[in-house]
Amino acid sequence: MNAITVTDLHKKYRSHLGRKPTYPVKGLSFTVAPNEVFGFLGRNGAGKTTTIKILCSLLRPTSGTASIRGVKAQSRAARRLIGYLPENPYFYEYLTPRETIDFYGRLRGFSRAAREEQWQSISDLLDLRPIAERRVRGFSKGMRQRLGFGVAMVGDPEVMILDEPMSGLDPVGRRQIRELIHLLKERGKTVFFSSHVLGDVEQICDRVGILVDGQLSTEGRVSDLLHRRVDRVEITVGGLKEPNAKSLAESASVEWRRSGAGDCFVVDGLDKANAFAQRILAAGGVLREFVPIKVTLEDVFMEEQEPAA
Amino acid sequence: MIILAVAQNTFREAVRDKVLYVLLFFSATAILSSKALGWISIGQDIKIVKDISLAAVALFGVLIAIFIGTNLIYKEVDKRTIYTIICQPMRRYEFILGKYLGLAGLLALVTGVMTIVASTYVLALGGTLDATFFMAAFLIYWELLLLTALAVLLSSVTSPILGAIIVFTVFMVGHATSILNELPDHISGAARAVMNGAYYILPNLSNFNIRAEAANGVVVAPSYVAWAIAYGAIYTTVLLVLASLAFEDKDV
Repeated sequence: MNAITVTDLHKKYRSHLGRKPTYPVKGLSFTVAPNEVFGFLGRNGAGKTTTIKILCSLLRPTSGTASIRGVKAQSRAARRLIGYLPENPYFYEYLTPRETIDFYGRLRGFSRAAREEQWQSISDLLDLRPIAERRVRGFSKGMRQRLGFGVAMVGDPEVMILDEPMSGLDPVGRRQIRELIHLLKERGKTVFFSSHVLGDVEQICDRVGILVDGQLSTEGRVSDLLHRRVDRVEITVGGLKEPNAKSLAESASVEWRRSGAGDCFVVDGLDKANAFAQRILAAGGVLREFVPIKVTLEDVFMEEQEPAA
Repeated sequence: MIILAVAQNTFREAVRDKVLYVLLFFSATAILSSKALGWISIGQDIKIVKDISLAAVALFGVLIAIFIGTNLIYKEVDKRTIYTIICQPMRRYEFILGKYLGLAGLLALVTGVMTIVASTYVLALGGTLDATFFMAAFLIYWELLLLTALAVLLSSVTSPILGAIIVFTVFMVGHATSILNELPDHISGAARAVMNGAYYILPNLSNFNIRAEAANGVVVAPSYVAWAIAYGAIYTTVLLVLASLAFEDKDV
């Protein structure tokens, strides 16, 4: 059974004072498998947070369904299965992290002993002990995010739903979040998270979905998305005269430029690049560099945005 | 247990609200300065002190119910603290009831403290206290519970400013609902229908007002107090059910 199933989800915000209604989510469908790390990508306003809020029962869908482990997302049973970290999480300012974790444990109906146990494991994992008795007021962004992670982990939920968990964090904070997501996966959890930090997404996700204008534009395994794009290879060559280099480039229809390092050719596809390298050698050139240019998730993301841009 | 957790948290939060202490200060000042009015009513000073003290408890209690109550749910949404709460495996009405009970606890503390201040002052001035005085204070609290339920309902559907205006209007009109049912003949048609409708919809808050009896030492039958308590309980319950229903499907 899928960890998350979203089918033909629509959300319409009613109009106010003559404004047109808005449709942040329009016929969205996707699934997330158990123990998968799924990156939910999209520009601002693409519908990511709206979808996440529907999964967490904060919003009611206009139509369509969303379920967690086969249970309707709007039910209490589904909420028992999820841990939610909102974007820029806010907590009661006058509580300490220890009191905050305890409060959320009470909301889940845990006994005092169970809440203490939760605190021990969560504070160990997130290194909350040094700030255990400090009030949340005055916490830095990174500390709030760590506490937010702790709150999401109360009850050891199967599915973690994280909205922009790396937003506004410094490199150290981002690394901590990446490590936490890895750890959650190791512990058998499913992690569904939205992010703008595509480099991080590429590193930690099994699969991604790219949301454009309220609909899923593309989804798949990160490795598949990157490999289905044509690889490009940059070949740097010495020993060729300029007319020879130019005619080689024109005959093979490849990009060419001359610089201090030599002649640089950019060839689409690995096979074509190999064949072109043979021709260069035959023409008396000397290979100095043969560098495959990898397609990044950012390239894929930007490509998906083009119709909407 | 969930309701209690939310209630305790709400109480702790409300106790830290600076508005509370400003209102308590003015309330205590009003009670202590009531003697000044007593001086200009020869031989009536204790009666005036009792009357003004109970009026101060009612007025400042209402202001606390309005300022904190109408912000109660709205602030949670505005500050986004509600996001991590509503997604917990709890029912939404548990959140509403918890918030309400937290504020009800605060109002119990506030009216209790103000009543103790007023009682101590009356005794210090050489006056005596009877059961009616404390019954009057209790019915003020009961009225505050009703108004707080209205504030919570409005807090879940509208802005704090509009909510505050409505609650204050209900407080003012609720103490004079008989006017709405005893209209002069020249008011007719739609205006009469609206006012008569308001008479039946708005709570009759004068049911909770036995301050004059308390000031004059008149005995009030326990059956009347019981009836007023039942009336307030039913009204409050209806308002809390409406607040829960309004919040049930609300997008946050």
